[in-house]
Amino acid sequence: MTPLASQVWLAVPVAVPLAAAGVHTAFRRRALSAWTGLLSPCAVLAAGVVLARAVLSGGHPPTAFRGVLRADALSVWILLVVGAVAALAAAAAPAHLAGERAAGRADAATARRYQVLVHAFLGAMCAAVLAANLGVLWVAIEATTIVTAFLVGHRRTRASVEAAWKYVVICSAGIALAFLGIVLLYYAARAAQIPEAQALDWPVLVAHADRLDPAVTRLATALVVLGFGAKAGLVPLHAWLPDAHSQAPAPVSALMSGVLLSVSFTAVLRCKAVADLVLGPGYTRTLLTATALLTLALAVALLLAQRDYKRMLAYSSMEHMSLIALGAAVGTPLAMSAALLHIAGHGLAKTVAFCASGHVLQLRGTTRIGRVRGLLARAPGLGTAFGLSVLALLALPPSGLFASELALARAAFAARFGWAAAAVLLLVLTAFAALAVRTAAMLLGDVPRVGAGPAASGAGVALQLQPAEQRLGVPPVAAEGTPQGPYRPAGDRPGPARLAPGTPAVPVRLGMAAGLPLVLGLAACAALGVAAGPLTDLLSAAALPGRP
Amino acid sequence: MSGPGIAAVAAQVAVVTAGAPLLAGLMRQVRARLEGRAGAGIAQPWRDLRKLLRKEPITPVGTGPAFRAAPALLVATTAVTAALVPFLSTDTPVGRNADVILVVALLALGTVALALAGLDSGTAFGGMGASREMTIAALVEPTILLAVFALSIPARSTNLPAIVAGAVEQPARLASPAGLLATAALAVAVLAETGRLPVDNPATHLELTMVHEAMVLEYAGPDLALVELGAQMRLTVLLGLLTSVFAPWGIATGPSWAALAVALAVFVAKTALLGAALAAGEVFWAKLRLFRVPELLAGSFLLALLAVTASYFLSGE
Amino acid sequence: MSEGTYTQLLDLACGAFLLAAVVVLWQRKLTAIVRTFALQGVALAALPFLLGLHEARGELIAVAAGIGVLRTGVLPYLMRRALDSLVPAPVTGAGHRYVENVSEAWETQPLVNVAASLLTAALLTLLAYAVARPLVLLGPAPATRALPVGLAVMLIGFFVLSTRRRALAQVVGFLLLDNGITATAFLAASGVPLIVELGVSFDVVLAVLVLQILTTRMRTAFGTTDIDDLRELHD
Repeated sequence: MTPLASQVWLAVPVAVPLAAAGVHTAFRRRALSAWTGLLSPCAVLAAGVVLARAVLSGGHPPTAFRGVLRADALSVWILLVVGAVAALAAAAAPAHLAGERAAGRADAATARRYQVLVHAFLGAMCAAVLAANLGVLWVAIEATTIVTAFLVGHRRTRASVEAAWKYVVICSAGIALAFLGIVLLYYAARAAQIPEAQALDWPVLVAHADRLDPAVTRLATALVVLGFGAKAGLVPLHAWLPDAHSQAPAPVSALMSGVLLSVSFTAVLRCKAVADLVLGPGYTRTLLTATALLTLALAVALLLAQRDYKRMLAYSSMEHMSLIALGAAVGTPLAMSAALLHIAGHGLAKTVAFCASGHVLQLRGTTRIGRVRGLLARAPGLGTAFGLSVLALLALPPSGLFASELALARAAFAARFGWAAAAVLLLVLTAFAALAVRTAAMLLGDVPRVGAGPAASGAGVALQLQPAEQRLGVPPVAAEGTPQGPYRPAGDRPGPARLAPGTPAVPVRLGMAAGLPLVLGLAACAALGVAAGPLTDLLSAAALPGRP
Repeated sequence: MSGPGIAAVAAQVAVVTAGAPLLAGLMRQVRARLEGRAGAGIAQPWRDLRKLLRKEPITPVGTGPAFRAAPALLVATTAVTAALVPFLSTDTPVGRNADVILVVALLALGTVALALAGLDSGTAFGGMGASREMTIAALVEPTILLAVFALSIPARSTNLPAIVAGAVEQPARLASPAGLLATAALAVAVLAETGRLPVDNPATHLELTMVHEAMVLEYAGPDLALVELGAQMRLTVLLGLLTSVFAPWGIATGPSWAALAVALAVFVAKTALLGAALAAGEVFWAKLRLFRVPELLAGSFLLALLAVTASYFLSGE
Repeated sequence: MSEGTYTQLLDLACGAFLLAAVVVLWQRKLTAIVRTFALQGVALAALPFLLGLHEARGELIAVAAGIGVLRTGVLPYLMRRALDSLVPAPVTGAGHRYVENVSEAWETQPLVNVAASLLTAALLTLLAYAVARPLVLLGPAPATRALPVGLAVMLIGFFVLSTRRRALAQVVGFLLLDNGITATAFLAASGVPLIVELGVSFDVVLAVLVLQILTTRMRTAFGTTDIDDLRELHD
């Protein structure tokens, strides 16, 4: 790749979303169509594909701007996941915003602010993924906290203000610890005579790992794992996660849960690559195993008693992040590629789950599991999509998560991690049961006076309909072009349907705009589980993050 | 065994014993003048003591040896402290025994004796005063120890004359962060230990606020005289300790009569000045509410601890 | 500047830096806390200034000026503005002034009382010294020997953050944490590279702005800025 090309393609994922944010800020008068939000995720994806080809073709990894940005297999993999999830979230945004507007919770200004912040968020995440300088990486991740704070607190209700406050305070403080860790690494690097300009570049640190002081590196690694772990939803600084994820708008929840957690975890992986060379793999292995097991145990315990479906999905994110952390702890190439595959599969499945849950919230006006009974009867398409996404999260085949969890278990047993793997298996099964029971409670059951719905009796069957995509893929004609929102009962009452007492309910159909992203996400997740296809090479290259 | 050394010890005890009531008188006088009163004169505490000593000794029914022994013990421990701390000269025959820990222990012994006497009197006020005094002492004693200990690190000895002599030779030690922190900590601790504002009001007889006065409420006659003298001597000794440790200029470091005479004058001047400044400050302070006192003392303890850590780690030994 | 004076001044700045953190713990009035924080900024800015003079590096002196403006000017200004919007201005009537509701201006009841917090701060300082041993051993110099001070301030900041109940007191805790880390960076390696330093400062200003806006919203939504009243979300 020529230097100019790498400059351009490395700049695109950061610059295009930021420029989009700028354009949305500038167009005050007339709100741009919400579909323009798809442009920058597509640019990110395109850059990801080009960079992937460059990385796999061998030779020097593309760098730009005097080594500030750099792409290797791992960053390209994460970039592709970010692009894919962002594209799904951007595609789901118009339906979400239309629903909010129909409910009177949003206006044009809100929609514009949403677009500005989401694009800035995407730009910051891409910068974090591509940064070679650990300091810049930190700045980018902290920037995501700041940008998303208002997205979390967008409703200004008590709950959302509380969630935003906890989010900013806990994440900023937690990530400050990571900065201390980075400062200490810098100190160790400077003491090892690495020049100032390069002393924070992780490839340089990896190359000169033998000269770093072990004691200082040990302290720094612990701080980095603790700090970036906070942003990745790992204990002990995880308390913000369920609150923020349950209060943010659904597409933003999807981005935060699907990729932001993984992007922060990439920062841990970068430092782990340095620390493993200085201290041997045992130290980070112990650290990450302990964190992962604690997180998993906590998430499972809270899943068991969960009564709020958005929080349930948030805790499921913690569960999956702990599995990824465990994969990193095992550290063999097989485990690493399993963890990376898990990142991708979880990102896609969780995006669908959150976007679907956003529609459920708009439809039923509550996040309580107990009050969302009979979803399959009320909204068959939406219910199926939500159910399938949860099944994908439960790692049932053909979900990508099935392949990754299987590989993870194999890697763990092969690396003499049997005891940890056994404990994890037990906990994951418990989580499985908890999630399945709660979701079934939402999907099945009767809605009062909805005897006429086709799914009321056949709901259990609907879950097992394998080619569900085809079922969903049929565009519901009635919903096309409704100005008020994506939902429209098959009858002719417009607007989001709330059941008036006593009226027989008519099944709500999912519109094309709302349904397509869900279908695409599920399809991608399933495809990932069947065959990684052209991504296999990239995955195996990315599984060796220690390689400078 | 040098003549000036023995004379210095004798002079220290004599100056502290004779000067303590005068210092208290001076402080009351300064305060009175600042408050626009005429004041009773500097010698008034001596006149009070004389009056009390002439009275018939009385002890309350039911009190035991703790009550009777406490006044004498208080004066005795303070007198021994006065002999040990290098007020006038660092070159004294008792200098080798003048360890910081010993000095603090002697002061604590006096405090404990008085608190026991307060308990022994069996009255409600005595017990309350004793409990409050112990609460304060529990934080003050470690603070004093730590503060002086911070200064002992550069001298590499807990021997007071060695610390003072080192400070005389190298004044820069006192301007270091450790020195400043320790000064602040010790100043607060001295205020608390001697029962001055803002920890305790020496002039109060309001039962809800008093600490020291509550313990000695049952004393009368010569015993009360001894308690009063003991308290005044403690104030003098602690102010003297403060000046010796943090403003050690003028203290004789060798066996010389002339230096001893200079040291005597300088010591009297320094202590009187500090006492007057303290009295002037008290005019502007209000007493802290009792439950905020531990905060103040915890703060001074923290300062002392910071002083120790700073002097231990920043010096880079 | 001679080696001795440099060491002495550096130690003095570090001492003042640590002392300011302790005073924040002792204060209850939020305006006083913010003022103490601004004073701590002066001590923090003194560190790169002294290092710059000692190592004859001009850019460090420029960084010192920037840090001074940010930590003693901009951030305290932002917090004071938040405080003004929370506490109604004193009503001046016929010869008397009073503040209608002072409860927002005071840290009334911290989770850990002040005396215990001060003792905890003492323990945290010792912990910082213990943790910093390998750091000091790596490159003994007057600046690195003062490294524990930065760590101690960071720990104290974390402590303030987790035990204070007023929203603004928490913000100060976060900023103390950040001050501590910045001081550590200067003492350990004369500061991180300029681009990172700029990015971090920018992030911190934005974070404080966000928190300020959230404080106002919290006041609107809950009627108070007491963190203990945030009980909407739980499991």
